[in-house]
Amino acid sequence: MIQFNVYNHALVVGSIEVLGISSSSSLQVGDTDYTTLYSMFDTPPESVIIGPLAPFPSPEGASQAIGETAEPETESEA
Amino acid sequence: MRSGSQREGDYPVRTAEICGLAIIDVSLSAIIQLGDRGYYTPKLRALAVQREEGHETAGSVYFESYEIFERPLPVLNDPAFEENEAVVIHRTNCSPRINVGCIFITAVGASSSVQAGNAMETVAESRIKHIRQYRRKP
Repeated sequence: MIQFNVYNHALVVGSIEVLGISSSSSLQVGDTDYTTLYSMFDTPPESVIIGPLAPFPSPEGASQAIGETAEPETESEA
Repeated sequence: MRSGSQREGDYPVRTAEICGLAIIDVSLSAIIQLGDRGYYTPKLRALAVQREEGHETAGSVYFESYEIFERPLPVLNDPAFEENEAVVIHRTNCSPRINVGCIFITAVGASSSVQAGNAMETVAESRIKHIRQYRRKP
């Protein structure tokens, strides 16, 4: 058993300047019990596709799939 | 690890005091909150597709096509933490407030949050997949 004693004395900050807060990040002035922040970011080599502009393959059950609202195109011009 | 027994003479809750808050842009389900919150669990899924061709003719994209949106979250394997027995925290607030001057933020986006106040639990999750698609040059 670890006894962890925290004494929060006066906390005074002059100013805060932030350029951007994004992707499930957080800026908080205050106290908190739990914070869990997950962020996954994927830009793999195959993310660059150079070639005929074939449509991306439709997944199984594409009619119920969540994606762009437009219906998938069945043909494409290379 | 909830806060333990309260000691005499301290302040159970601290108040955040901010002189000014200047934010230029808030977008994509971001939250600016002045006050306390209990549970906050934002989730973001994004397919960032950049194409040479227009989206109308190049077809649709689906979250289901990419593993990143199904991949399980990493698990914190700490049985003692799960049993709430490993650490007992006693917090003593000697001052009733947190003072901050002016806060300047250019942009807040993508399920993120800016809060002045106390929180209980925050579990945020974002999954972003980038795709760039070009036409092959003859």
